Amino acid sequence: MEKRPAAKEQGRGLSRPPLSCRTSLRCGGMAPLIASCLILSLTGAAPAAPPARVMSLNVCTDQLAMLLAAPGQLVSVSELASDPGLSYHSALAASYPHNRGLAEEVLVAKPDIVVTGAYSLHNTTPLLRRLGYRIEEFQYSQTLDTIPGEIRRMGTILGAGSRAEGMAATFESDLSRIESERCGADPAAIAYDQNGIAMGAGSLVDSAMQAAGLRNIAAELGYVGMAPFPLELLVEKRPDIVVLPEPLADTPALADLIASHPAIRALGQGTLRIHLPRGSASCGGPFVIEAVKALADARRRIVSCQATGGHAP
Amino acid sequence: MSRRSLILALSACVGVFFLLSLLTGPANYGPVDSLRALVAGGDEAAAIILREIRLPRALLGLMVGFSLGASGAALQGFLRNPLAEPGIIGVSASASLGAVTVFYSGLAGASILALPAGALVGAVASVLLLLAIAARHGSTLTLILSGVALTSLAGALTSLALNLSPNPFASYEIIFWLLGSLKDRSMVHVVIALPLMAAGAMLLFASSRALDALTLGEESAASLGIDLRRARLFVVGGVALMVGAATAVAGAIGFVGLVMPHLIRPLTDRMPGSLILPAGLGGAALLLAADVAVRVAIPARELNVGVLTALIGAPFFLWLVARTRREAF
Repeated sequence: MEKRPAAKEQGRGLSRPPLSCRTSLRCGGMAPLIASCLILSLTGAAPAAPPARVMSLNVCTDQLAMLLAAPGQLVSVSELASDPGLSYHSALAASYPHNRGLAEEVLVAKPDIVVTGAYSLHNTTPLLRRLGYRIEEFQYSQTLDTIPGEIRRMGTILGAGSRAEGMAATFESDLSRIESERCGADPAAIAYDQNGIAMGAGSLVDSAMQAAGLRNIAAELGYVGMAPFPLELLVEKRPDIVVLPEPLADTPALADLIASHPAIRALGQGTLRIHLPRGSASCGGPFVIEAVKALADARRRIVSCQATGGHAP
Repeated sequence: MSRRSLILALSACVGVFFLLSLLTGPANYGPVDSLRALVAGGDEAAAIILREIRLPRALLGLMVGFSLGASGAALQGFLRNPLAEPGIIGVSASASLGAVTVFYSGLAGASILALPAGALVGAVASVLLLLAIAARHGSTLTLILSGVALTSLAGALTSLALNLSPNPFASYEIIFWLLGSLKDRSMVHVVIALPLMAAGAMLLFASSRALDALTLGEESAASLGIDLRRARLFVVGGVALMVGAATAVAGAIGFVGLVMPHLIRPLTDRMPGSLILPAGLGGAALLLAADVAVRVAIPARELNVGVLTALIGAPFFLWLVARTRREAF
């Protein structure tokens, strides 16, 4: 439980310096923007005039932006935002226009700020920067600690600082409540995705398992990130909990068949098979707490707290 | 070598590689423990691994290898073409296309039965097309070139169908359908493939006398009382059933049906009819061995078994082409 205090401090302390400042010289010579960049970097959360038009090009920034933007402020979200397999808030996305992450679409929409992921669209982002657009890149969340910071940072960008602060604080208090409710020995678990890909160390699901009080056997065996994990090894290690995927689309793929492999079924009653709420662990956002809750619920079904009593946080 | 001792020797080979296949895998159990778990069953991890993961894999290696080897021998005999093989003349690729079209469109839900149904349609269509081409142009090379074109076309359409699927995983499955693999199959796959393959094998064995007679030419065969239409129907049906079922459960695995008949033919009386069974057994041994090798070679990132059979088979094919041309001119 006390494995990562340093990282926790960092994540909860304050949002990272806004990325826009790195590019302030390229802000197209627009004095007001540069000024706002400077203010943002000095105060961390300056209530400058909120941008009127914001465009999101990435499914992760889409969801944060939809949760925090004022009505009419968010011009469009990416197509993946309405994919229920990847986007927890796919229902919200129905009321927004969609973009395909193309630079041309940004040129037509002329947003004040573009929010996107650091690893997606690596050709589009430099092009838009060169054209003078203000781009806010978000790193892909791989631990729960960074999520409150990401929420606050999106709040700052959108001029919705207080709403973001509330959302981040709720996430933090929910998380510490779940962490404090753990008791007994940690059960073994694995998240076994399509095609037999396990979520190893350094993945968002691994972080959620740590918070919920589960031992991720993939991480313990040295698997890092999303890695192919032999089905035989899963049966041999016999974890208490197997987190199985739900199909990402209505049309079938062989990749989905692994979840119904007879070997997994043959593990019997001793192994709990669960699903995480769809889209709850594919991006960093307040909804990741739903994945942690599902894992904590599964843990409670295996380790009962009455016997040992919860220990103090 | 007498036919009887050849078949015994090949069966022993198949048995050895089948056993090796059962004993190969990331979970480390000794041979004795593994076999005891396989026989005893129960819900221990070793029993589940042996019965639900390794046994279906070894059975499919045997069945798919046998189907490809026997089909290769039958096609080479029937078309009187040493280069004929389900993978090269486009039967496997067409079966893949059929399976992919039916399965990924979601027409049959996510039912695994969609795979053999689609694969059979694809395989039958391709064999009929090739027979039509062979009937019009007798040349060895025309048939092979048509088959190569058919393979490319079916491969391209398979890729297209998978790219068009809304399921984000579909496009990663192109490599399975074009190269084949036996990874993480289950008894369900064995059950859906076995009856089709058994029926196909029956048809091929039933046509062995006709295949022998056809070595004398169609007219002579007809004068010997061979019903050519019936023979054609049996070979088409047999190859389509065996290759269709094999492709539905393991993807398009190439070259097994090419290599084995040639390796084994010198050990037989060189009659195509009597080659079917030994070529099938040889194919089973080869595929089981290749499937053990891909698991041992790079354990962390398992190769598709079709990569290995192509590495063995493609140079062999080139050598055969060179030899065939030398003999032809």
